Amino acid sequence: MKSAPFEHHEPTTVDEAVSLLESLDGPTILSGGQSLVPMLRFRLANPDVVVDINGIDSLDYLHEEDGYLRIGALARHADVEDSSLIDETYGSFADVAPLVADPQVRNRGTVVGSVAQADPKGDWGSILLAHDGEVIARGPDGERTIPADEFFLLPYDTTLDDNELITEVRVPTPAPREGSAYHKLKRKTGDYAMAGVAARLVLDDDDVIETARLGMTAVDITNARATDSEAHLEGERPSSELFEEAGELAAEESNPESDEHGDAGYKERMVDVLAQRALGDAAERAGLVKRRVSQ
Amino acid sequence: MTDEREITLTINGTEHTLEVEPRRLLVHAIREDLDMTGTHIGCDTGNCGACTILKDGEPIKSCLMFAAQADGAEILTVEGMEDLPEATDLHPLQEGFKAEHGLQCGYCTPGMLMAGKALLDENPDPDEETIRDAISGNLCRCTGYQNIVSSIEYAADELADRTATDGGAVTAEPGDGAGPSADDAATVCGQSDCCGGPDADLFERDYPTEGTDT
Repeated sequence: MKSAPFEHHEPTTVDEAVSLLESLDGPTILSGGQSLVPMLRFRLANPDVVVDINGIDSLDYLHEEDGYLRIGALARHADVEDSSLIDETYGSFADVAPLVADPQVRNRGTVVGSVAQADPKGDWGSILLAHDGEVIARGPDGERTIPADEFFLLPYDTTLDDNELITEVRVPTPAPREGSAYHKLKRKTGDYAMAGVAARLVLDDDDVIETARLGMTAVDITNARATDSEAHLEGERPSSELFEEAGELAAEESNPESDEHGDAGYKERMVDVLAQRALGDAAERAGLVKRRVSQ
Repeated sequence: MTDEREITLTINGTEHTLEVEPRRLLVHAIREDLDMTGTHIGCDTGNCGACTILKDGEPIKSCLMFAAQADGAEILTVEGMEDLPEATDLHPLQEGFKAEHGLQCGYCTPGMLMAGKALLDENPDPDEETIRDAISGNLCRCTGYQNIVSSIEYAADELADRTATDGGAVTAEPGDGAGPSADDAATVCGQSDCCGGPDADLFERDYPTEGTDT
């Protein structure tokens, strides 16, 4: 099936893109297009105007700067996968990048586009939440910073304004004793997550958990944090028992729906297991000995 | 700007200039405007990978991109494989799919060849897991994948053998032992215990003609 006809605009600068977004009626932003193109073709999306940002070269970056890992709007999933920056230091990023869709999709799809799409089954939202990430948006009134916590509203709905363009998502560079991980359950390569959990732990000098974050995928109406579980972890020393308790709390906080992949109870159990595994890997990467509780 | 615009695509080394609507998908431009139907459309949803092509060397799904977005790009499709420097009569990957029976219905094959080509360009000596990962965006409903993996391994070995014997120079002589060529008997599939099919007598066989229903 073909898309409905649309006007195709190809700005080459952010300023040009922002003024187009302001002046045009009901524009849709096209970046990687790996979700939007099928939506256009099935006429789930019927914009009159498409603003294609692929020509804005200044948005094609992935680097550390001023205490942040900054991911520009045109950085593809494959760029994260291939980046020399992304190793155990950014454990959750290293885990998630090869798990997004398939190689061809990762060559086109962008991290920022995935965040902007705000599919609760998208992986990157959970990573941003676990890393206290931020979304940088440019609109007619200039730039604003939206904490990841305040970004996701509903499936495919965010606090971004219609005339705003996300130029970047960023996360603080990791603390010296920080570790993170992402575990995802899916039926086969290329599938969206049935459930996924991103975990991040920061330890103090006495091996006590200073900061704990858990971001969950596909088990609520948006990517969501497990704040009770986080609070239970903070101030404690990592242990299998602690992670089991944290897994149970995360499962309680999740709100999965039954579907063809499994019933809600099963998915809650999976949140429990995935949270324990992600916490185990995060603790290990934060410098503790291997404490993975289950495999 | 819903009007057609002129774009240039360099496909398999040949420059094509065509007029496309913004909504024209790259795969439709290739298949319908340029009549290169080797690139297939399987699922039409971006899942199956049958429409995989190489755009500026990277494998992408041509049903998930508008043609206008590929303006100025260098594209490789299955039609161009036999003209690549590493090809003799066929490309080593195509030889591999023939020798190892890497296809049954053949629908996924063009996409598999492209995914395999992208992999071997980046990693000439992939292990099985790497091969399986590289073709994870391509669905095959016939083979169970094992023979596709073997086909790509065959091509990797073939390319490595050539590098070892000629120091990397590309040979283009048919019948030089680099693989079956048009001059070889149709039964030569590269395997000593060849089963004789499916290509053994495909073209010599006496097919039933109209009126013979036995």
